[in-house]
Amino acid sequence: MITEHARQSLDRIFQKAAKSRLIVDAADTCDIRQLTDGDLPAVREKSMVVLTISSIQFRLLVILHVDETPAIGSYFCRNAPDKSFDEIFFEIANLCCGAINQDMQRYFPDLGMSTPYGLSGRCAAFLSELRPGHVARYAVTINRTVHLSATLCICESGRIDFTYEEPADQEVSGELELF
Amino acid sequence: MAKILVVDDSSTVRDEVAGFLKKNGLDVGTAVDGRDGLAKLKADSGINLVVCDVNMPNMDGLTMVEKIRSEAGNKTINVIMLTTESSPAMKERGKAAGVKGWIVKPFKGEAVLETFKKLAG
Repeated sequence: MITEHARQSLDRIFQKAAKSRLIVDAADTCDIRQLTDGDLPAVREKSMVVLTISSIQFRLLVILHVDETPAIGSYFCRNAPDKSFDEIFFEIANLCCGAINQDMQRYFPDLGMSTPYGLSGRCAAFLSELRPGHVARYAVTINRTVHLSATLCICESGRIDFTYEEPADQEVSGELELF
Repeated sequence: MAKILVVDDSSTVRDEVAGFLKKNGLDVGTAVDGRDGLAKLKADSGINLVVCDVNMPNMDGLTMVEKIRSEAGNKTINVIMLTTESSPAMKERGKAAGVKGWIVKPFKGEAVLETFKKLAG
């Protein structure tokens, strides 16, 4: 069972991570709209990048649905035009999921995160086979022109309840912590 | 010149980190996973600093560090982890293996350049 507090917390954590990590430059805009929780529309994109955050209590799938359209390709590859879209987008997905993992670690210290892997978009139709306790889908629009979508799918083995509070010391990434 | 080895399965990260360090006058090599990293270390005794991801196929970064430390000639090589992982348990495992420091991605080169230069000797 996943409480309403936990669902809202997960939503806030995802939106914060996506807004800071799915953009290529800090000046870019990222609008995120959660699609209705009850009757989720079918996923249109043909490809998806999946990462898993696992704990003893749950397994969270962070899924980014994306197709390499000209608008998407030129946006994500603009700083590295010699690289493949997949290579660049997998790392962006990794950073986004890493930010989610970092925030959730404050409530679930035993988390482990997978590396990103690619699947056909058709797999999204079978998420219900995992018997998730909660699925949320989002429409993501960057700079009003780049459109992708995301799904959070959480399968729990016990009661999940936490209330996310944004940490006061926000940005800890990129700093070297010497031992 | 002392050399830095960047170990990451993402070519985006390898190119970003290695490119930044090279641009700042450092001698840099790359490896695609822990297994490749160990092989490069064995082949090049001039490497003084390893910058290494945690989650990689074939051999993860912490296993690579543990193997580095278990070999007599590698006790003094400095290792910095550069990863999306930030769990205290992971960091403790890193400390126990002899990791010198930890950076949560994304990489911000200017913030760490001087320390990297010192550690690379």
